[in-house]
Amino acid sequence: MNLRIIGVDFVVSFKGWIRSKGTIFWSIFFPVLLILLFGAIFSGSDSPSYTLQIQDLDDSQSSQMYLDMLKNISILKIEMINASENITDYIQKNDLKGAMVIPKGFGDTIALSHIDKDASVNLSFYFDPSDQGSTSVVRSIIGSSLQEFNLALSKGSHTIGMDSVSTITSNFKYIDFFIPGMIGFTIMQLCIYGSIERNTKYRKDGILRKLLTTPITRTEWLLSKMLFTMFLSLFSTLIACLIGILVWGVVIHVNLWMITIIFATSFLFSGIGMIIGRFVKEEETADTAAGAISFPMMFLAGTFFPLQQMPMFLQEFAKVLPLYYVNEGLRNAMISLDFDKAAYNGIIVIVFALVFFIAGVLLTKWKED
Amino acid sequence: MVDMNVRCPRCGEIVSFSGIPGERRVVSCPSCGTDARLSFPGGEIQTSENTIEVSHLRKVYDDLIAVDDISFNVKKGEIFAFLGPNGAGKTTTVEIIESIRKPTAGSVKLLGKDIKTQFNAVKEYIGILPQEFHSFERLTVRETLVYFSKLYKKQANIDEIITAMDLTEYTKKLYRNLSGGLKQRVGVAISLVNDPDVVFLDEPTTGLDPKARREVWMVIANLRKRGKTVFLTTHYMEEAEFLADHIAIIHKGNIIAEGSLEELIDQYGTGSTMHIKKCKDPMETIDILKEKGYDVLSTGNGDIAVKIPHKERVLEVLSDMRHACIEYENIDIRRSNLEEVFLNLTGAKLAEEK
Repeated sequence: MNLRIIGVDFVVSFKGWIRSKGTIFWSIFFPVLLILLFGAIFSGSDSPSYTLQIQDLDDSQSSQMYLDMLKNISILKIEMINASENITDYIQKNDLKGAMVIPKGFGDTIALSHIDKDASVNLSFYFDPSDQGSTSVVRSIIGSSLQEFNLALSKGSHTIGMDSVSTITSNFKYIDFFIPGMIGFTIMQLCIYGSIERNTKYRKDGILRKLLTTPITRTEWLLSKMLFTMFLSLFSTLIACLIGILVWGVVIHVNLWMITIIFATSFLFSGIGMIIGRFVKEEETADTAAGAISFPMMFLAGTFFPLQQMPMFLQEFAKVLPLYYVNEGLRNAMISLDFDKAAYNGIIVIVFALVFFIAGVLLTKWKED
Repeated sequence: MVDMNVRCPRCGEIVSFSGIPGERRVVSCPSCGTDARLSFPGGEIQTSENTIEVSHLRKVYDDLIAVDDISFNVKKGEIFAFLGPNGAGKTTTVEIIESIRKPTAGSVKLLGKDIKTQFNAVKEYIGILPQEFHSFERLTVRETLVYFSKLYKKQANIDEIITAMDLTEYTKKLYRNLSGGLKQRVGVAISLVNDPDVVFLDEPTTGLDPKARREVWMVIANLRKRGKTVFLTTHYMEEAEFLADHIAIIHKGNIIAEGSLEELIDQYGTGSTMHIKKCKDPMETIDILKEKGYDVLSTGNGDIAVKIPHKERVLEVLSDMRHACIEYENIDIRRSNLEEVFLNLTGAKLAEEK
């Protein structure tokens, strides 16, 4: 291993980067632009909120208790519907997307349930099936709240409950959500496209063939390129964080998990870039293939919007995408300081990185057939 | 000293040059300035040592035989041209020698080392310009040369290379902003950054205009003066004619002829053709020359072509014409070239095979 050669190659990568307007734009100005743009668009609504119209036909102490619980969920804005209104007419007249009705006898049934375990009462939730996004979120919040309420009534254990949900959402502004996603997205783009340039353009231009006949080894070259990629990843992270802190007042925590996830992400997407470069020889086609992989991933992995706003099947699909774990892990580590989840997501990113990077290295050849 | 009378390939002027026996040098036509390489007869180049030894080399891709059991040697200090049409197997062969591709069978010794097992040992001593090479677009010429030189333990003086390659005024220019000819010159310069003993140039002038091609030729010709062994692949016969000490013609994976330019033309060419322009009585001239045993034909407009298998017979033909009082406007003697050699060997023109 010749460190001098690695250093020389690193300097060349740096000069090539600093002199490329396109790369500078995509690695620095584009993320900055998006952070400023999205920050400005969503600065009025720090966290996503949903309005829930409720008609309380019972007006009992129990229904009031449940309403108080719902009002404590910051993500929900509760509006009351007069008990005298016909609910279906009211929904149609006011073009509501969803409304909940607490039926008469709600409190009595709860009181009876202490004696008769089979006693039950159902709340009615009216919704517009065409509005899958917000109604599914509201339904899941109501479901969780009912579970919590049932637990409270049965004097059950409080290990999992609404409190933890409300605590996270109350501090989680949109820009807090967006900046880690933007960092993950930027690293993904830098690494995939950088890797493709090295593996298709350099091959086409004969640079790899030339290097093969010089004393630099493939390991030294790869190490130099990965060092530079990690440098770029850290640099673009720094820029995104600075804009977040200075312009939007985001509180960002730098810690080992954040750095680990950033480095692992660099290896992960460089590996994906190498694999693309191995199978797609033409530079333009490789760029298209990279776009076909990275752009859907960007939207489906919760970079710009919370996954909860997407239909369930897409939420499940997101869990096979590496960028999802990058985004979640960075949010856990940088914003919410939930290190258990950061570790969980971080380890998944590391596993993805190992698999894709090793596969990429094994598949990439300097020698021709 | 020996004297040589040669006809300029461009303007047709017969020019006389003097040189040391065995000397090879580039001369210029005093009339039109065209450069040509001359080998003065006599003497021998000191090339007893083989720099490259290729033995029974074979490369097969699925059902395609790219290189079919070829053997040849390249002597130290010579410019060896591997001439053939596109797809003949030139690049496959040179890339096997450069250890970029693996051979199916056969062996290659480069500077006495078997490339299969000892290629790393020769990396410091070879310089390579791959086919269609483009260097880092956003590095200047000097930065490019410095980068590649720092990959080696043995480093040549970059300033000397820049001067030798006539790149002084371009050192601060980005590679991407250079013309095609300059890029190739930089490519050749890159192949010299470690002061190599052997330089491989794979189609260094493909895609260049004639002026740029000629500039690169001069750069390559200078490599011989610097004592380098040059392995040149090309599909331009003029390039091989201008530069090479030794030529191997490859066709469909086989070496079909090998030798110096003179040897190839003597062995496989059709000799020379004397074109007698504007004869006063062409029919009578044809009859007279045919009677003397020459291969003669009319080429129209009163012009006649006489085939001359050996250059020694030129004076004989002129003497016979004088005795027969044949009148004409002028005479032009065209020597057989590599194109004819290739045509005679393969039945196809080199240009058609591309």
